[in-house]
Amino acid sequence: MNKITAFTYRNITEMLRDPLSYIFCIGFPLVMLVIMTLVNESIPEQAGMTIFQMKNLSGGIAVFGQTFVMLFTALTVTKDRSGAFLVRMYATPMTSLDFCMGYILPMIVISLVQGLVTYAVSFILSLFTSTISPVGLLISIISLIPSSVLFIAFGLLFGTLFNEKSAPGLCSIIISLGSFLGCIWFDAEAAGGVMETICKSLPFIYCTKTARAAIALDFSFDSFWLPLLIITICAAVLTTISSLVFRMKMKADLA
Amino acid sequence: MIAVEARNLTKKFKTKTAVNKLNLTVHEGELFALLGVNGAGKTTTLRMLSCLSVPTEGEAFINGHSCRSESAAVKSEIGISPQDTAVAENLTVRENLEFIAKVYGFSPSRIKARTKEMIALFNMEEVQKTRAKTLSGGWKRKLSIAMALISEPRVLFLDEPTLGLDVLARRELWKAIEGLKGKVTIILTTHYMEEAEQLSDRIGIMINGRMAALGTRTELEQLSGQTGLENAFVAIAERNGAANE
Repeated sequence: MNKITAFTYRNITEMLRDPLSYIFCIGFPLVMLVIMTLVNESIPEQAGMTIFQMKNLSGGIAVFGQTFVMLFTALTVTKDRSGAFLVRMYATPMTSLDFCMGYILPMIVISLVQGLVTYAVSFILSLFTSTISPVGLLISIISLIPSSVLFIAFGLLFGTLFNEKSAPGLCSIIISLGSFLGCIWFDAEAAGGVMETICKSLPFIYCTKTARAAIALDFSFDSFWLPLLIITICAAVLTTISSLVFRMKMKADLA
Repeated sequence: MIAVEARNLTKKFKTKTAVNKLNLTVHEGELFALLGVNGAGKTTTLRMLSCLSVPTEGEAFINGHSCRSESAAVKSEIGISPQDTAVAENLTVRENLEFIAKVYGFSPSRIKARTKEMIALFNMEEVQKTRAKTLSGGWKRKLSIAMALISEPRVLFLDEPTLGLDVLARRELWKAIEGLKGKVTIILTTHYMEEAEQLSDRIGIMINGRMAALGTRTELEQLSGQTGLENAFVAIAERNGAANE
């Protein structure tokens, strides 16, 4: 446990001292939140477009922010792997599980802080637009943990398999897919057809659905519990895969 | 007592044999230098001795523990300072030291005491609150060695510790390494003759993955029939076909 705590502390400190983490993990999602709120103000009520209303937008932006935590996870892992730092650490009694936990845990903390900031700003903005429940926001933050683990696991996987140049590129693909097919910017169920099928066959939409349902205090099985269960399973599977891949890569590095 | 032992240690990468049937014995408290040109197999040897690479053939032991089957026991007894600077760039000097001590499961009071000792040993008081990324090359190397030493290893591996340092930083680091002599078993790799001559008790000359010669400076001079370590090294290297590579 000491090893995990030490490595977690190191990773979180390194990130907190990197200005890029603030820009990507907090700044950019907040900018998008403000811009989309302004866009929503320009949409006439008759259009019936609710996707950018604060009750829907805040949950979507919270998930959007998590995709940047994935990018940061990948960057942290690739940076450690490209230098001699991991070589030194491989010669210590740390195991692959210690490394994986040490990368995942601080990112969950960062993700929670990011969610808190996003929802705090959402709440303030909602005072000028449509009011949202602070209780719903708090529950939504907790319900975002499985989706944050899912994105962090993607980051760990890309960071383990690819180098500093290609990992961010792959993360950008997931950021685009996650935000578009996660229905942050459009309503797949309203669109229907092939688009809806594609969105529902990927995990991203369930992240957004869970966050939005919690904010709306809608805890029905279909709206909240089922998407939460799907995300939890996906996160568990992907975390296991990425941890196994890290272990295999570590073994290969030490061969 | 034998601290490090290699028996027919071999490492092959596809068609290339990086280390070929290396036999070596280093005694406790000894400072042993592995001298050789680039690609001689020094770093690969160090990697195998520190459980960072599995030998293709042969076996290595650290204080009697097998590097193959008892890697956890070996890892708890060694410290390594890799060739490239291996520090957490955004942590301060003090935080880097504390971090490694925590990884080894030291108690808070022991972490504090060992960190203080390392800072004093390497004269790092003035930079202890400086982030590693802003340190000069010399300070980074000192920090890297201090990080390898903080866990109180019985065997310390230093891979090209002064590579790329200016003459003053190199001399400063030599002083620090000399201060460790007798307290901990040290194996260092280098291709600087002066470094091997100045620091080591015995020198092993590696040529094309083989241990071409091994002994004190005087013994190597006698073996080669030359005066001075550089001349001895060149004679031994030429005799072993290094010039043809």
